[in-house]
Amino acid sequence: MNVTQQLVNAIWLGSVYSLFALGYALVFSVLGVLNLAHSAVFMWGAFIGLISVIQFGLPVWMALPVAMVGAGVIAVLLERVAFAPLRARGAPRISQLISSIGASIFLVSLAQLVFGTQPQRFPFGSIPTDAIEGLPFRVTPIQIIILVIAVVLMALLNLMVQRTRLGQRMRAVAFNQRTAGLLGINVGGIYLSTFFLAGALAGAAGVLYGLAFNSMTPFIGDAIALKGLTVIVLGGLGNIQGALVGGFVVAGLEVFSIAAGGSNYRDAIVFTLLFLILLVRPQGLLGRKEITRA
Amino acid sequence: MDILRSIGITEPVIQFMLVNAILGLSIYLTLYTGMFSLANAGFMAVGAFTGVILTQEAGLPLGIGVLGGMALAGLVAIPIGLPVLRLHDIYLAIATIGFGEVVRILILNFDPLMSSITGQTVALTGGALGIKGIPKIAETWHLLLFLGIAAYCIARLHRSRFGRAMAAVRQDERVAANMGVNVVYVKNVVFILSAILAGGAGALSGHLTRIISPDGYGFDQAVQILAFAVLGGTGSIAGPIVGGIVLTGLPEVLRFASQYRGVINGLVLLLMIVYVPGGLVNPVGWARLWRRLRGPTPDA
Amino acid sequence: MRTRLFGLLMAFAILVMPFAAFAQDDVAMGADMAEACPAPANLPESITIGAVLTLSGGASVYGTTQQQGINLAISQINESGYLGEGTTLSIIFEDSASENEQAISAMTKLVEEDGVTMVLGPTLSREAFAADPVAQENGTVVMGVSNTAAGITDMGEFVFRNSLPEAAVIPGVVAQATANLGLTKVGLIYANDDDFTVSGYNFFRQSFIDNGVEIIGEETYATGDVDFRTQLTNLIAAEPDVIAMSALATEGVQIILQARELGFEGALMGGNGFNSPAVLEQTGEASNGLLVGAAWNIASTNPLSTAFMAAYEAAYSARPDQFAAQAYTGTWMFATALRCADSVDRTAVRDALAGLAEFATPLGSFSFDENRNPVHDPVVQVAQDGAFSVLGAE
Repeated sequence: MNVTQQLVNAIWLGSVYSLFALGYALVFSVLGVLNLAHSAVFMWGAFIGLISVIQFGLPVWMALPVAMVGAGVIAVLLERVAFAPLRARGAPRISQLISSIGASIFLVSLAQLVFGTQPQRFPFGSIPTDAIEGLPFRVTPIQIIILVIAVVLMALLNLMVQRTRLGQRMRAVAFNQRTAGLLGINVGGIYLSTFFLAGALAGAAGVLYGLAFNSMTPFIGDAIALKGLTVIVLGGLGNIQGALVGGFVVAGLEVFSIAAGGSNYRDAIVFTLLFLILLVRPQGLLGRKEITRA
Repeated sequence: MDILRSIGITEPVIQFMLVNAILGLSIYLTLYTGMFSLANAGFMAVGAFTGVILTQEAGLPLGIGVLGGMALAGLVAIPIGLPVLRLHDIYLAIATIGFGEVVRILILNFDPLMSSITGQTVALTGGALGIKGIPKIAETWHLLLFLGIAAYCIARLHRSRFGRAMAAVRQDERVAANMGVNVVYVKNVVFILSAILAGGAGALSGHLTRIISPDGYGFDQAVQILAFAVLGGTGSIAGPIVGGIVLTGLPEVLRFASQYRGVINGLVLLLMIVYVPGGLVNPVGWARLWRRLRGPTPDA
Repeated sequence: MRTRLFGLLMAFAILVMPFAAFAQDDVAMGADMAEACPAPANLPESITIGAVLTLSGGASVYGTTQQQGINLAISQINESGYLGEGTTLSIIFEDSASENEQAISAMTKLVEEDGVTMVLGPTLSREAFAADPVAQENGTVVMGVSNTAAGITDMGEFVFRNSLPEAAVIPGVVAQATANLGLTKVGLIYANDDDFTVSGYNFFRQSFIDNGVEIIGEETYATGDVDFRTQLTNLIAAEPDVIAMSALATEGVQIILQARELGFEGALMGGNGFNSPAVLEQTGEASNGLLVGAAWNIASTNPLSTAFMAAYEAAYSARPDQFAAQAYTGTWMFATALRCADSVDRTAVRDALAGLAEFATPLGSFSFDENRNPVHDPVVQVAQDGAFSVLGAE
């Protein structure tokens, strides 16, 4: 078994999982709801990036900011349509979960109408995919670029939440919405900012995913949706560092259960471990106690 | 009947509606007790495979198959419920999704696993190919009867001492415990009852679709079952039944929309939950929506 | 620049198309049967057939190209007056959403409510196992145009398929490739949660054993996975000469790209699912040396096949895949059965369809065996520089 190569595979896969899960975690930490349409926003991000390159002729590096803004706007619309009315009425959080499922079905079906079902890709030669020479393992420049972008985005998000005024307000709203409102924080505005940021992260993850795997259909979000959920629960719900760690842990578990010859039981191994971790540490690996939300 | 058929509600659709109404009831039980469990797709799989193996491999009648599916689903729920029901909210949801995935993967690998354990060739679940060629022996009246009995039992349960304990646990576990309710007992019993119902629905549906394979009982199905109850409303027994029926019928009725079917389906689901957040069976929500639509009353 | 050149070529193709079609009149689809069966006189003004396809959901990539193949055939059949003066063929498409339950309700609606004469589909084998008995019990012909699992036509005498089962394709590919390329060591990779890929894997495994090729490793993944580097790293470590993939196209594309990225230079082998220009477009140079066994040869010089490809490209600005070719052929087979039966009586149509023999189609000369399965030879194709050619035919 080529341990170094498998370790490289795990780190790389983990960065994709973590980046996807960050947006999930951000929305959950501030609003306390699971946004099951996050994977649909992710898919739209991938397509916005693709369209900006193949239809509008933008350079590939521009796909990332364009997709982040586009996906951020979609997420804001999602907040206004699927979440805000329910929150305003004080509906149970589980209703918001179901409305996000409706939104997800809508977004995926719409993508199918607009983009068709045939897989699409960035043009050949636009992405460096030849392995770097002279290393004891195989890794491509695009894998390294993606890893770096993912880590930078995660670090920026963390800084923003911990150090800026916006981040401070977000944490205040997360702690207690009513108190934050009484303190003069524009709670509705914070929700919009949170969704925009989460959408932008999903969009970035979508483009990077598109560049990495280079085969995009309206259904690319389906497979990663459950993975993202696993990652944030494992890491500690609503905990941003937790989502980061969780992504690498899940990817590592997957890679090494396959490497050890258990590819038939890979997901069973991941979920059994998740199950056990939840029983011992219900708050997740990095979570704090006393967060009870649905 | 003819009107129903002309809008796409044919007999198989009615049968799937009834199955989904039973599934809605099964998750209603846990939601009513304040437990956000998504294990029902997994219990449905246990019930479906057990029921079909009993009727097809052992040649037993459908009734025994359904009872067997219910029994095994209930038995599996005991060791799962004891540890997992200490969790709450989304943690419980994820742990139970994990259970569902493990069940799915075990069914997928059941034959080679059992073959290597017993040393003999085992061919029961058929792996990814599943079991095919199952005769369609479940009838509409079987489903109606099952749904009727289940609804009656739950209605009786609600009026019982145990039913009040369920409501108390949902309101506040600590207060319920202080009032002398055995919270752990109530939660586990409800979890098992919910599993039994889901197992029965699985066993019945396995004898409707002619083929069962593990991929029909994954994450999507778990969330779909939740949607039946939430869309219908968890305030009364009628809610999840109506939710199961409406959500099953909607894509069929929308067939006229051809390629716009998915878009409309998602939009309708979204609008229904946004404008009637308490669920479809929820007089208060409808009254509020009616007042909004009518505009402000002049004598307010 | 490339796109402009492509545009010019397309414009040229569209301009030339009508003339090309005119010039090839003697090889037009259905010409041979038009001689065998006289122009029908007793058919009603309009005949409706149905199709249950995966037009949404995870498998919609297949259903949508099938729909295009069927629409192309319908318009050709009506334009050529193949069903006689004043008879038009129309079709009702129903979406199965890639779900068994919806396939059942779609089939029920078509045969019981709409009363269609015949049904094409469903797209997936598991949907066929769920829904075909509805048509069988109703006494309506149903024909799979992409069902490859074993046992489809065992469901009854009204159940047909024109898609070669894996059992007929994979052993041929493995035998021919082993002989041609001298393969000795193979690594297998497949999705273990999908009926199509698992049954394909079973046939691959057995065929390699039968041909004396050593299996150096078997790896599995789950449908929807995107990263196969771990499994491929395991396989490549044992230095196989060929990696055989029982995969659907979506995952297959990633496996090809990642295997090459990890430095694998041997042959790659896939089943029906890889027989698509999209797979080659998505993988580029990485698919050089990809061996694909299939029911329809994209590089075929069969005039009906080239005419079909030209007409399809003119209509949809895309190259057809095997799913489109089989759906197109299936629609023409239905029309031919109607023409030869000269009736819409369900049993007469069934008998006429079952009696089709040596029908010239894009798939080659087509006949059914006594179990309503197709009888025609699979081809083994090898990919080079974005195009398929027949293995060994230089």
